[in-house]
Amino acid sequence: MEKLFYPQVGETLYKTTLSCGLPVAVLPRPGFTKKLCYLVADCGAIHREFTMDGVSYNAPAGVAHYLEHKLFDMPGRDVTEEFAALGAVPNAFTGYDMTAYYFSCTEHFAENLALLLEFVTTPYFTDESVDKEQGIIGQEIDMNRDNPDSRLFELLMESMYRAHPICTPILGTRDTIAQITPQVLTDFHRAYYRPDNLFLCVVGDVDPELVCHIAQEKLKDLPHPQVVAKRDWTEPVSTEIKYATASMDVALPMFHLGFKCARLPDGEEGVKQEIIGDLAAEALFGESSRLYLKLYDEGLIDASFGGGYETIEGMSMLLASGDSENPEAVKNAILDEAAHIAATGIEESAFLRMKRSALGRRIRGLDSFESTCFRLCAYHFSKFDYFNIPDVYKKVTKEAVQDFIRDTVCNDRLCMAVITPKEEQKL
Amino acid sequence: MIHTINVLPHISLRCFSDDRFKQEGLSLTMVRPMCREEASLNALLPAVLLRGCASAPDLRAITQRLDDLYGAAVGSQLRRVGDYQTTGLSCSFMKERYALDSDKVFDPMMTFLQELLFAPKLENGVFCADFVEGEKRNLLSAIASERNDKRAYAHAQMIRRMCKGDSFGTPRLGYAEDVEAITPESLYTHYQKILRESPIHLFYVGAAKPEEIAARVRPMFEKLNRCPVTLPGQTAFCDCGGCDETEEMDVAQGKLCMGFVTPVTLRDEGFVATQIFNTIFGGGMISKLFMKIREQMSLCYDISSSYHGSKGIVTVSAGIDNNKDGIVKEEILRQLSACQAGDFTEEELRSAKQALLSQLRTTHDTPGAIEGYYATAALSGLSLTPEDYMRRVEQVTADDVATAAKKIRLHTVYFLRGAL
Repeated sequence: MEKLFYPQVGETLYKTTLSCGLPVAVLPRPGFTKKLCYLVADCGAIHREFTMDGVSYNAPAGVAHYLEHKLFDMPGRDVTEEFAALGAVPNAFTGYDMTAYYFSCTEHFAENLALLLEFVTTPYFTDESVDKEQGIIGQEIDMNRDNPDSRLFELLMESMYRAHPICTPILGTRDTIAQITPQVLTDFHRAYYRPDNLFLCVVGDVDPELVCHIAQEKLKDLPHPQVVAKRDWTEPVSTEIKYATASMDVALPMFHLGFKCARLPDGEEGVKQEIIGDLAAEALFGESSRLYLKLYDEGLIDASFGGGYETIEGMSMLLASGDSENPEAVKNAILDEAAHIAATGIEESAFLRMKRSALGRRIRGLDSFESTCFRLCAYHFSKFDYFNIPDVYKKVTKEAVQDFIRDTVCNDRLCMAVITPKEEQKL
Repeated sequence: MIHTINVLPHISLRCFSDDRFKQEGLSLTMVRPMCREEASLNALLPAVLLRGCASAPDLRAITQRLDDLYGAAVGSQLRRVGDYQTTGLSCSFMKERYALDSDKVFDPMMTFLQELLFAPKLENGVFCADFVEGEKRNLLSAIASERNDKRAYAHAQMIRRMCKGDSFGTPRLGYAEDVEAITPESLYTHYQKILRESPIHLFYVGAAKPEEIAARVRPMFEKLNRCPVTLPGQTAFCDCGGCDETEEMDVAQGKLCMGFVTPVTLRDEGFVATQIFNTIFGGGMISKLFMKIREQMSLCYDISSSYHGSKGIVTVSAGIDNNKDGIVKEEILRQLSACQAGDFTEEELRSAKQALLSQLRTTHDTPGAIEGYYATAALSGLSLTPEDYMRRVEQVTADDVATAAKKIRLHTVYFLRGAL
């Protein structure tokens, strides 16, 4: 394995690609008891269209998430119980562009790792078990419908995007999940859960060679079909719908304000763009900004207000969100401030301070096993070595941030979604 | 590894010296009784302190100071532990060794924390009216927004009904009318009172030596005119009767909450066995509630139980179909009966122990978990170190678990039913 040392962040990382095609990374944490292990697939809710061995597929919305639930089934075995007996807690999540299966444990690491690799690469779906899951996921969909934050995000996405599949919820709907059969799951699994489309990442005090050995043994006989997934969508950066609203049982109006941006390139260039977007959000409406203080003092925003730059495969956007009695006034203030920054620029000292702060927070974040493991996975798929991020910060200029604000924060690209309280719920 | 120093009478510093992390953290909290008279004041105080101090008079100035310290974070530290609540501030900051150009972080951070806590921005001798009014508005919307999260809302409604005569029934943020009644004068008077009277707990995680930290923080308190008042001890649940209620709301999914009582608290012998009972019953993905009601019967997406050891309360919470409350409730009680009858396998017991042991073993793996464990233990009366705790877990037998389960009794049911 390749051993890499990153003095700026004080980390050592072991990396390799196994002969079965699986890329592996191990981040040693000597002196810590916890071991965290992620096995992630480079596919998510947006990857419903693909061709495999020359045949085209278009799976129902919600397929990636449904598969995540059903992969825990193994013939005649209960995976969760087996993990529990080994003292591990397994879990999984499905995102728009990534699906992750993981466990954390303090003992029996090798057995837990073998079990994780085994169940994720063993498709076993029966009519009965797939039918039964409709009830559980149906409840999850209902729960999500009652959650104002997810409703708001989904409302914004369906209003902002036409071609990019982010306009459909990760979970799908009760109608789309009704179309999911064992065959649909089997095809999706075969297409995306190939070793070369997975990534194994371990954080903890473990032997890197042991990780490789176990993974190679478990994955050596997996099929390698020819798959081309649809990963690019023609999506303009201008928006057609500028405003969307729904009402729910909430205390205060809640808003998401999005500004559409183009898809990011892979590698360092994309990460640089991401940092520019984050610094732009900070300069424009972050807690250190003039605008934040003004809006907070006027009572137009509260501590729930925040935002940043969001990236999903094939799209990116600047997002601001929060609770406010007057979302429209917040939106107008953001547009005005963007015009002001474009005209007058950002102060050099303020810019350096923002960069230093962002870097310090990244370094502190490395104390978290979960966030570090997640970032290593996400950046692996965008072909960037996460621990090199301090160098990218150095390359970002304030002119680039100013230009980004000028080009992005304008009426042409915006869309706002608002959840308003039901009449009788108003304060 | 934990080292306690009495900095001054009734001011204790707990240090966990550890060089493995990339950050350090210090919290300073005042210990208060959990009661309606103070809840809103204690919730509001840190928010107002974080609006500005004499040396950084607004939010922007505060953020800029923190940004200069490599994105250090300061937050309010509000925690409920049994009959007590704590109010104060905590900070976490990057270790100096990662700073560029040998910038200082630790010492300026200590100075800033001291200024935020002890040198607030004042006007006419009390807190700034704008800060107080603004934070009152935020606190009011936080209280009103409790209903946005239906699971938390239903749980809080159940606890309120269950704990009519117990401090546990007092909402952590207090009531809206209490918030509205607060003035800059009343909050400032309260601030001075609690600085004078409260036991003060400091907690540090980082590489510095305990004596160094003690020497650094001691001068912070020397100007305070202290007159500490000892708090009454923690009490067990005070029962004023239960109920079974349904409320309707415009939601897609119903939320069922059940409250159970046990005489066993974390200050009692049977605590660890009750903890293991809870894990077998509804504490995780292989618990009886999860396996039976979700996996076998497909009646819900989420279901779990929690044991509130400081009070001896077990709660069950489930998101279910609006017309399935009867069957789910019946099944929850059936699973409780099974635990009481000792109807669980050797495997279930072993897995429950494993889950608790894993959790305890990782106590020392994050600064947050370290602070959470020791600071809470100090307040709740839990006298076990994680190591002793683990030994006790290993000793628990199936009989102990059944005995603990038999002490559990249903007290209150609350159902939030969707009326679409």
